[in-house]
Amino acid sequence: MSVGNMKRTGGTEMINPKEKIQLRKTDSPTRKSFSERMVEYGQIDKEFVVFESDIGYSTYSYLFGDKYPDRYFNMGIAELGTMAAAAGMAADGRTVIVSGYGVFLTMRAVEVVRSFICYPHLNVKILSSHGGLTAAIDGVTHQATEDIAYMSTLPDMKVLAPCDTYSARAAFDIAVKTPGPVFTRLMRDPLWDIYTEKDTFVLGGSHVVREGKDITLVSYGDIVFQALEAAEVLAKEGIDAEVIDMYSVKPFDKDTLLESARRTKAVLVAENHQKRNGLGYEIGTFLLKNYPWEKMGQKPLKFDHLGLEDTFGESGNYFKVIDKYGISGRAIAEAARRLLKGSDR
Amino acid sequence: MGTMVHTEPSLDERVAFLKKQAQQVRLHIVKMIHKAQSGHPGGSLSAADIMTALYFDILNVDPKNPKWPDRDRFVLSKGHACPVWYVCLALKGFFPVEELDTLRQFESRLQGHPVSTKTPGVDATTGSLGIGFAQAIGMALEGKWLKKSYKVYALLGDGEMQEGVVWEAAASANKYKLDNLVAIIDNNNLQNDGFTDRIMPIEPLDKKFEAFGWTTRRIDGHNMEQVLSTLREAKVHRGTPFCIIAQTVKGKGVSFMENVRGWHGKPPSDQELAQAIKEIEGGLK
Ligand SMILES: Cc1ncc(C[n+]2csc(CCOP(=O)(O)OP(=O)(O)O)c2C)c(N)n1
Ligand SMILES: [Mg+2]
Repeated sequence: MSVGNMKRTGGTEMINPKEKIQLRKTDSPTRKSFSERMVEYGQIDKEFVVFESDIGYSTYSYLFGDKYPDRYFNMGIAELGTMAAAAGMAADGRTVIVSGYGVFLTMRAVEVVRSFICYPHLNVKILSSHGGLTAAIDGVTHQATEDIAYMSTLPDMKVLAPCDTYSARAAFDIAVKTPGPVFTRLMRDPLWDIYTEKDTFVLGGSHVVREGKDITLVSYGDIVFQALEAAEVLAKEGIDAEVIDMYSVKPFDKDTLLESARRTKAVLVAENHQKRNGLGYEIGTFLLKNYPWEKMGQKPLKFDHLGLEDTFGESGNYFKVIDKYGISGRAIAEAARRLLKGSDR
Repeated sequence: MGTMVHTEPSLDERVAFLKKQAQQVRLHIVKMIHKAQSGHPGGSLSAADIMTALYFDILNVDPKNPKWPDRDRFVLSKGHACPVWYVCLALKGFFPVEELDTLRQFESRLQGHPVSTKTPGVDATTGSLGIGFAQAIGMALEGKWLKKSYKVYALLGDGEMQEGVVWEAAASANKYKLDNLVAIIDNNNLQNDGFTDRIMPIEPLDKKFEAFGWTTRRIDGHNMEQVLSTLREAKVHRGTPFCIIAQTVKGKGVSFMENVRGWHGKPPSDQELAQAIKEIEGGLK
């Protein structure tokens, strides 16, 4: 599937602009890519350690444990205590990676993350798998559909949400190189790759993965692919959509967003997360305050936001589930049409 | 529901029936996980004998009236093993057996982990380890509060015992003398990442629970006679909460799944299913 022209911003550099961006099917989920990079990095930096709570074979942190058994602590099924132990080991500045599923790390252990990792500004990096409805088949108890809200609300916490192998590998590097706590949201199932090892990613950066002039679709993680699919559908109808991969959710790339919004005058955020307190709320508030409303004429800006509408998800095939909860390519295209037609927004 | 007049079968007859029934349960477990191509066979199979004894001898429940206020409560604290629970509920008549084919599928009542608002007979939503047991404490407190005579049974994994909340719950059961609470530990010595005694040792469980004020029994969780007689003892036990530590084999009944880490959360292929069915049906004869 080709998805139009790709321009890269993402902080400082523009690298390798390509004619067409191809979605390439992968059998490596981002949780695995992140862990593989962690193993490689174990050679470069011999000081960091990894804490796991008995899902190392699922997060692939076991790869690190196999290679560096003395730097790998499997604390059993005890996420709360594991997070607190990680804080203790990080107390004098050591970098500690804590690996696990989003729901357990960001919800069961949230107080520890808040008061004893963020507050004392410790170098704890959270490798968080099963983000959003990517854990579709396991059901609600395993679907981290509020993780971004919890984590981005915490002072000092940085939040990353890569979509593919290369951005997940880069997220690891950003996490360990950024002082203080960093949360990385990863996915259960393998989807596609769009980047290559030549692409660069920075904290606070983004990539415009498709250029367009009629509407800006903003997304992160797995929904980037859905936004690209929506853009393809819309293109056939004469609607030219721009797609931004906001892989750095906190802080997010305000310049790229604002520049794009000024051009297209329509922003649609789609995320695999509760709408409430997701990136869409953040962007909506930001635009209200910073968009040059008076200078933009009669119809200054249209805005909408897709995500879980104050509801839990459910078990089932990932594609069926994201469609039902309104964040599939089909749903994004429909919302884009509605937004561009509607005069009341 | 105790009102029917019938002659009690002998213990031997009961055991013989339950043994057969447990193999039926195993058959359905492997079939439904194969059909879903997702789910947790190992911990479902290790609990099959205990769950069969509970549902077909011990628990006072009414499939026609799943929310009957006087029913015994059952909490699958190790929620990932819900295939074994769904099978028991279906065979008991809570919903059609054919529905087992919808495990984990889109818009099914049989979610990947148990959900109380979706599945008839499921009293507590679980799937996040440790929390089910703590909910069972509240159910037992409610029973005491209402002066009801029902009992609350909770099934836990051995890996699950590593969660701190399990021990908070154990302490509160002692304080409130919850003798209407029975905890059963499926002690298969395996968890997701490996053998429990290597990942994070939890033994000696009997000494720990005794120190927390519980009465404990350690049994062979696949010896139906022991399972049944101990559960019957627990049913009438008074004075303290009761903990059964059931020594089990993860994947029990399917040779290639037995005691193998990799079968914690992986579905069988077509060939593996055929082999599993052959072995389980062999055990049925
Ligand atoms: C709080 C929590 N942490 C992690 C998991 C992921 N998980 C599911 S099953 C499992 C291993 C369970 O081992 P055990 O309790 O021994 O169960 P069994 O061997 O009977 O399958 C883990 C870590 C979870 N469901 N809940
Ligand atoms: Mg176990």
